[in-house]
Order: sequence, then C-alpha cells, then structure tokens
Amino acid sequence: MTSIRRRLLLATALGAGVSLAIAGLGGPTPAQGAEKSVTIGIDLPLTGADAEGATRIKYGAEMAIDEANAKGGVAGYKLDMMTLNDATASAGQYDPAQAATNAKKFVSDPNVVAAIGPEMSGAGKAMAPILSAGDLAIITPSSTNPDITDPKFAGQFRPAGKAIYFRTVTTDAYQGPNMANYMRDTLKMKSVYILDDSGAYGVGIANAYEGQAKKIGVKVLGHDQLNPKEADYTTALTKIKALNPDAVYYGGVAGAGVKFVKQSYDVMPKTIKAGGDGVFGPEYLSAVGFPAAEGLYATNASPHVTEDPAAQEWVKRYSERYKVQPDDYAITAYDAALVIIDSIKRVAASGKPVNHSNVRDAIQSAKVKTLQGEVSFDENGDINSRVVSVFQIKHNPKYPVDDIIHQYKYIGVAPQSPAS
Amino acid sequence: MTFGDVLIQQVINGVSLGAIYSLLALGFTMVYGIIELINFAHFNVFMVGSFLAMYILEALGLNGQNVILTGFPLVGVLAVALVGTMLLSGALGVLIERTALRPLRGVPGTAAMITTIGVSYILFNLVLLTIGADAFNFPNPMPKVRWGEAGVVLQLREVLVWIVAFLLMAGLNYFVRHTKMGKAMQATAQDQEAARMMGVEVDRVVMITFFLGSALAGAAGLVFGLYYNYTNFAIGYTAGLRAFTAAVLGGIGNIPGAMIGGVIIGLIESLGGQLLEVRWTDVIIFSVLVLVLVFRPSGLFGRAAVTKS
Repeated sequence: MTSIRRRLLLATALGAGVSLAIAGLGGPTPAQGAEKSVTIGIDLPLTGADAEGATRIKYGAEMAIDEANAKGGVAGYKLDMMTLNDATASAGQYDPAQAATNAKKFVSDPNVVAAIGPEMSGAGKAMAPILSAGDLAIITPSSTNPDITDPKFAGQFRPAGKAIYFRTVTTDAYQGPNMANYMRDTLKMKSVYILDDSGAYGVGIANAYEGQAKKIGVKVLGHDQLNPKEADYTTALTKIKALNPDAVYYGGVAGAGVKFVKQSYDVMPKTIKAGGDGVFGPEYLSAVGFPAAEGLYATNASPHVTEDPAAQEWVKRYSERYKVQPDDYAITAYDAALVIIDSIKRVAASGKPVNHSNVRDAIQSAKVKTLQGEVSFDENGDINSRVVSVFQIKHNPKYPVDDIIHQYKYIGVAPQSPAS
Repeated sequence: MTFGDVLIQQVINGVSLGAIYSLLALGFTMVYGIIELINFAHFNVFMVGSFLAMYILEALGLNGQNVILTGFPLVGVLAVALVGTMLLSGALGVLIERTALRPLRGVPGTAAMITTIGVSYILFNLVLLTIGADAFNFPNPMPKVRWGEAGVVLQLREVLVWIVAFLLMAGLNYFVRHTKMGKAMQATAQDQEAARMMGVEVDRVVMITFFLGSALAGAAGLVFGLYYNYTNFAIGYTAGLRAFTAAVLGGIGNIPGAMIGGVIIGLIESLGGQLLEVRWTDVIIFSVLVLVLVFRPSGLFGRAAVTKS
C-alpha cells in the first residue's frame, strides 16, 4: 500500500518536474501575480516539410489564447501553452511516434486540460488512443481522415469509449464526395480517372470520392495507385490519357502529388485535375511551378473565411502580428482555441474542477460562436457543419510564386448533395 | 489514341526511363566488374548529382521553367551543366573510394559492401538535413517541342535523354575497349594479381572506375532532373534499386549488358503498367528478375562477357 502510494507520489513529482522543465524551456514565463493557471497543449509538425502550414495553425491558436489572457484570463485562470513539435529530422515531416510521445506528455500533466492539434491524420491516429486513456480532449484544426472519429474504429482510436478527438474541420467522408458533386455539377465532368498515393489519407479520400462519383452517375474509368517513392508517373498518365477522361482526381499528399501535377501537365495539359486538401500547399506552387500548376483544383475541409468581410478585422490583426497571411486552417485553429476557452469557462462556472474529464465533457456539449460560425460536435467529435471549399490555382504575378493565399483562388462551396 | 498508339507511346516512355536506368546501372556494373563490390553508395551519388546539376543550372541564371533557351546558348548551358556535374560527382565517387573503401581493400567478406550502405545513408541524411525534404522545381531551359499532338507524342526532353545516354555509353565503350586505361581496367577485371604484376597500377584503375561510374551517375542525375523537372532527397532509392536490377539482369560486370538491361527494365515498367496496373510495377519487375536468374543465373548476357572476356 505505502509502496504503491510512494511510487504514485514519485510519478506525480516526476511528471510535474518534466512539465515544469518543458514550460520553462518552451513558452513565455507565466506572468507574475496570476493565482491559478491551466495549460492548453499544442501539438504540430513545426519543422520539416509541414512546417509552413503548421506555423500558421500555431499562430491561430496562440492568438486566441493570448487574447483571452489579455482580457484577464478565463474565469480567473491564466492560460499557459505547452507547444510540442511532432516532426522529427529523420522523418523530415510529422512523425507518428513523436506525436504519440507528445500525447503522453499532455496526458501525464494534470494541468493540461485540453489540446489543439495535430495537423496531420497520421499523427492523430497515433495520439488518439493515448488521449482516450487519459480522457483528455484534443481539437484538430486540419486533420481530416474519417477513421479517427468513426465509431467503427472506436476500439482502436478511443478504447475508453468517449469521444476525445474533436474537429473544427469536416472529414474526408465529405471532402471527397462533395468534390465529386461539384465536379459533376459545375465542371460538367462525365468521366473521371482516380489515383491515390497509397497512404492512409490518400486511399481514404480517393475511395470516398469514387463511391460518390459512381452514385451520381459519373463514369469511373479506373482507380490506380501511385508509389510516392517512384519518380516516373508517365506510364500511368499515358494510360489515363488513352482513356480520355474529363478529369483526374488525385487523393494524396505532396510526395506523389507534386510529380503527378508536373507530369500530367506534360502528358495531358487540358484534362481537369483535382484533389483534396492534400493538393493545397506551397509545394504545388514552388516545386511544380507555372504553367504546370495552373488550373489545379483543391479543396479545404472548412468554410473559406479568410476572405469573408466579417473576418477582415481578424485577418488584419493576425497578419500584423505574425507578418504572414492566415489561411483557413489558421482560422479553424483559432476557432478550436475559442471552443476550449469557452469550455473552461463553463466548467469553472459550474463549480466543478477544471480537469481533463470535465473540460472534455464541456467540449462535447459546446455551442460556440466562432469565426466560421457556430461550432458544435456530434457524439463522435466531428463538427456538425460540413462545409467543403473549392479552390483553383490561378497564377497571380503580383504575389510570390509560393504564396498559397494568393495563388489559390477561392471559387465556391462543394455541395453536400448533388443537383440532380 | 488507338491501342497501337498507346503502346508506341509507352515504348517511348519506357526507353527514356530505361536510358536513365542504364546510365545508373553502368556505375554498378563497372565497379563490380573490377573489384567485385556492389556499391550501394551509388544510389545516392546519383541523388547528390541531381542536386549538383540543379545548383549549376541555377548558377547559370536559370530558374524553374521561366528561362527558355534555344540554339547555341541551350547546348552551351546543358554542356556546362553536364561536364560540371560529371566532374563533381566523379570527384565524390573518388572521395568515397579513397576514404571509405580503399582501407577495406583485401578485407574478406561483406565489410566493404556494408560500408557502401553506410556511405549511402550518410549522403542521404546529409542532403535531408542540409537541403531538406522539399521537392524542388528543377530548372529546365528546353523549349517545349512536341511532335504529333493527337496520337503518339514525342517531346524534345525524350530525344535529349536518348542522345545524352547514347553518347555517354558510346564514349564509355570506346574508353574501355580502345584506350590504355580501358585495357588496364579489363586486365584488372580479369585478374587483379596478374595485372599488378604486369605493371598495372590497380589502385589507380579502381579510382578511375569509381570516377567514371560516379560521373555517369551524376549525368543520370542531370538527365533525370531535365526529364522530370524535379528532384528530391529521396530519388536515389527507387531509381537505384531498379538500376541495380538492370545491372543484374544484363549480367553484372557486363557493360553492354547493363545498357540493355536498363532499357529492358524501363520497358517492363511502362508496358507492364499499361497492360496490368501501375501499382503492380514492382511485382512485375522483380518477378522478371527472379525468372531470369532462375533460368540464366549469370544474367541475360552472361556475367562479365566483355570486361572479363
């Protein structure tokens, strides 16, 4: 009995020591005088290939937290941040193993009451079971793989039962199919060839797209897989060209995507090319270059807010403060922080202790007015609004080539149900 | 496009791809022919070569596909890039040989081969950590010239790949068969001890072999970049593995075997992808390799038909 208690004590002391050390190394030192504080964890791939988008997301979350602190904190609590990087040098991008380590750090720190992140679904899959065991909620501003919140996979991603993985974006279960609707209705696509990059995200979104395309009467001429390690896709593209589809839909991220876009411009410059949020990124501008990148369609799993007149005051604040333009996932990150702040407030107001479980429950029942509108979640943690925005690359020579805000032009919402 | 057109197009694709594999396979086969070492560092000498070529082209004022040259300036820029890349890559090959492999000469077993795997990883990680994991838009000054818009399309970049690969391979063949150093290489390949006794400086021969093999890998890096307008720290692995397969297929140690083996692998890749599915590419390539090795263990053209004749 005593030995167990002693061990527990030791573990708590160790945990607190680690978190103190991290807080001391990482963020700003807490302001003097604040009596009570809680910590919001942030997990993002802040270095490597995903760094640019991750940094925009981080700024979005940070801004909401700093603004709340500037107003005197939340219900008497000062908000601290524990920002962890889930990218590693050996992966060169996000690393699921590092994401899992970070999740353990969040869970082991009783002061962390909720977290924001990760950017990538692969990291989310590694974090979810650990967060579930610790009953700690995380809100992702950008990871869209539906499996993580799908009740079919609850045993894998939330073994403890309750939803802990919340999203301020919708999932690929809508991103793919809505784009199929858009391409048939607006781009007049009658036939399509589908490619994916054999990764979890790519296969998922491509299959969801294919299912919907078939359902709404688009002829699917084939579905093949590109190996992201391979350099040559001309074989696949020549084959597709011979089938003469109206469009090619690519499910996947930049690894294979950059080569796909580049080479398909050589083989079939006139065919419509489209993808999900995996083809929304600076590589498609800098590494593909113009004119090859011109005309590529991409989607985002959130409403397009950065050009919304009502959000302009916010956009100005963000860009003045961080010297970069926000993208829509900076908005969803800001929204995620607003949801957490609101939830902490409600827990404190109810008189219950502000801890993992109570904040999770409050997030589950959140109805928060945010930049993208009212955010609320279903019982699995998915956002109730399911807006997918469509963008197209249109070269704007006034801005730098790799400026994703100005080279991707917003062209509308992909409808959840097709016009029949 | 009729089915016939598609097949012809895939042959064009396959031969272009195969030409790059051939250039790369030559380096494997030459080193193996001389010192019976499989040099895995070759994969990433090729990758480094593509970055060297990119920096040389950028130093010459090119940027992405924005600068288009024709006539003499085009040939001049490409020639400077080719020579520069080959010299630097060759020097890298010599450096690897001198620092990591020569001290192990004569050590029995697989020590040297394992060392080349280590060197390969060092090159890979050096590029990853200094240049990063991004994909790069490889500069290409070639105008977009295409012949035959509706059916079979032949592009200038494909013709360029063929010409460069053909000239380099013809040059190498001439060098090995008709120059004094080439004959010294053949002699060393046949019997190192006897060659040494006849006054051949074996260390020098090995060094020149590494220089030539790595220079060809650099040339392959340049051609790869011009063909795909793309490079990345990870390009060495897949291309290197296919090129190695090409060398084994042609009979490792056999120079014409490597050339033809490369083109055969390229054709298997493109026609296999066309007739089956692209996702099956690796299965098809390596099945062919296994079949060839089962029925002709020394490769299609026999191990060392020329270098060890």
